[in-house]
Amino acid sequence: MRSRSLSFRLISTSAVVAVVLLVSAAFLLNYLFQAALERNFDARLRAVLDGLLANVELSADGTPGMQGQIADTRFSLPLSGWYWQVSPPKEKGVGDLASDSLLEQRLIPLDSMLKVRDKGGVASFYMTDSEGKQLRAIEQKFKLFGDADDYAFLVAGNFDELRDEILAFRRALYGVLGLLGFGLLASILLQVRVALRPMQAMQQALSAIRGGRAERLEGEFPSEMQPVADELNLLILANTEVIERARTQVGNLAHALKTPLSVLTNEAEGSNTQLGAKVAEQTHVMRDQISLYLDRARRAARAQTIGSSCEVEPVLQALSRTIMRINRDRDVQISVTVSPGLKFRGETQDLEEMTGNLIDNASKWSNRHVSITASPMAGTNGAGRDWLVITVDDDGPGLPAEKRSEAVKRGKRLDETKPGSGLGLSIVTETAAMYGGNVVLGDAELGGLRVELKLPAVA
Amino acid sequence: MRILVVEDDPDLNRQIVQALSDAGYVVDKATDGEEGCYLGETEPYDAVVLDLGLPVLDGVSVLEKWRRAGKKMPVLILTARDRWSDKVAGFDAGADDYVAKPFQMEEVLARVRALLRRSAGHATSELTCGPMVLDTKSARVTVNGTAIKLTSLEFRLLSYLMHHGGKVVSRTELVEHLYDQDFDRDSNTIEVFVGRLRKKLGVDVLHTIRGMGYCISEPDNAK
Repeated sequence: MRSRSLSFRLISTSAVVAVVLLVSAAFLLNYLFQAALERNFDARLRAVLDGLLANVELSADGTPGMQGQIADTRFSLPLSGWYWQVSPPKEKGVGDLASDSLLEQRLIPLDSMLKVRDKGGVASFYMTDSEGKQLRAIEQKFKLFGDADDYAFLVAGNFDELRDEILAFRRALYGVLGLLGFGLLASILLQVRVALRPMQAMQQALSAIRGGRAERLEGEFPSEMQPVADELNLLILANTEVIERARTQVGNLAHALKTPLSVLTNEAEGSNTQLGAKVAEQTHVMRDQISLYLDRARRAARAQTIGSSCEVEPVLQALSRTIMRINRDRDVQISVTVSPGLKFRGETQDLEEMTGNLIDNASKWSNRHVSITASPMAGTNGAGRDWLVITVDDDGPGLPAEKRSEAVKRGKRLDETKPGSGLGLSIVTETAAMYGGNVVLGDAELGGLRVELKLPAVA
Repeated sequence: MRILVVEDDPDLNRQIVQALSDAGYVVDKATDGEEGCYLGETEPYDAVVLDLGLPVLDGVSVLEKWRRAGKKMPVLILTARDRWSDKVAGFDAGADDYVAKPFQMEEVLARVRALLRRSAGHATSELTCGPMVLDTKSARVTVNGTAIKLTSLEFRLLSYLMHHGGKVVSRTELVEHLYDQDFDRDSNTIEVFVGRLRKKLGVDVLHTIRGMGYCISEPDNAK
């Protein structure tokens, strides 16, 4: 997946958002779970504290004493992590009171731990005992009956006992969030794939147009993309119309110029004056110039055509039929062999002009036989563009190798005895080059000249 | 030989008509497709020179109409749009030959001669009947190698009969092919011309088939 692709953008942004949300959810749920556990633990400690308050009394010497028992036996087991202690103010100098589990040790919270108290005056904090156990403790000041001073009541429980519970919750939480993450990723991939499918369809439709397999964007597109498809179709149509108009104009110009030129030529020929000779000479120059520039204008109009293609066989058959009729006095026979389904990627008119000129040349020079074959170019499948080769052979005198490069030059006529303006082969060469193809001259098996025309094909 | 010229440019039309008339043909002219189409359908022409870019009805449509109506006369198309697709369309519509504009009149004349010769089934420009030879290219007639001087109408009459050598040609048919459409069809001049031709040729090749018309054949085949 390329970093500039839409898929990459959609998937990467969705993935980043999903990861941020999942990590935040993990932190939040973890925090909420731990806070709930602490509240629950504190409530249990508060119950013990309430029990202590109910059972602690001052003796006659001012020493606090326990009148009953705390029901939880963990407060009796030595260093169990569950402790309580009642501390009189230091200045009183009397002994304190503590659970059996504390033995001779005492819990001494730091002043900082006692600073923050809730509305009931209860401070909650963590500390460790001499065994290193983590304790959750609460502390509250009370005045005992018969004394005006505050006594500090502290109850602590072993918070390590909840650690396993927290770890089990975290494992479950991370597992569930991980699964959720994978689920989200899968759904993102699916969404992107489904959402971008019309884009791929459009890409294929455009590629079909470029490849000459279609003339317009076919298919239904989502409402967001339909306007783009419609605009593209209009653009293609406008392009075709512009070319068609240009072609018509060129045709009209040809007609408008060539008819008066015929009149001038014939009028000049009928007159034996110097003026007549000059007009005849100049009309000849004009005729060649008109042919040259009309030809260029036609090809310029065609150069930007999008997505056109045509079947090769009907074009070659029609041209052979016509050229055989033109040369029927000489009984020229033209055979056409075309691979089935062969299509030229380009304008029908260009194929007609190129092959028409080649077959016409071959017929003029042949003794009787012209052979045309058209087939896909071997070894081009899968190597980018596809090509076709049209071979025109004749049984005429052929062309010496040293003269072949001359023959394709504009306006070059190697034999003035044959009719024509000399533009034929050069038009073929220039038009073929416009399509990235070429023209190669060689020896025909029939004995005359072979012309090989290489052109782009539709795969 | 009667030829129809359909060309919308008045100057070019005039030039072609003039050149064909000078070459000894009887020429009718039309300047739009509709008129040309009508003339081609109603008059018996031996050949037609037809421009493709015509007003009202284009040349290819005119040609298609003629061929659909069973008209078989040879047609030479003139086209300024010298693309192969135009040539293919012209030939597929039933044209027999084409000349691309701008052209030299000699080329049109040569093509018309070839069309007439081909439609009559002759391979060369020289038509022969016994000792008589008619060269369509140079418009010359010789008998035993001696040139015979003929008037324009005499040459036309002989040429038409030679192009249809061996066939009986009616007087009506001759009138239709030797005169343009404005000629008075009841004229007896054909008989006068046949008589003069027989005298000038001096060989018995021009026969009268009673009640049917005239026929050119070698002296031995005389009926």
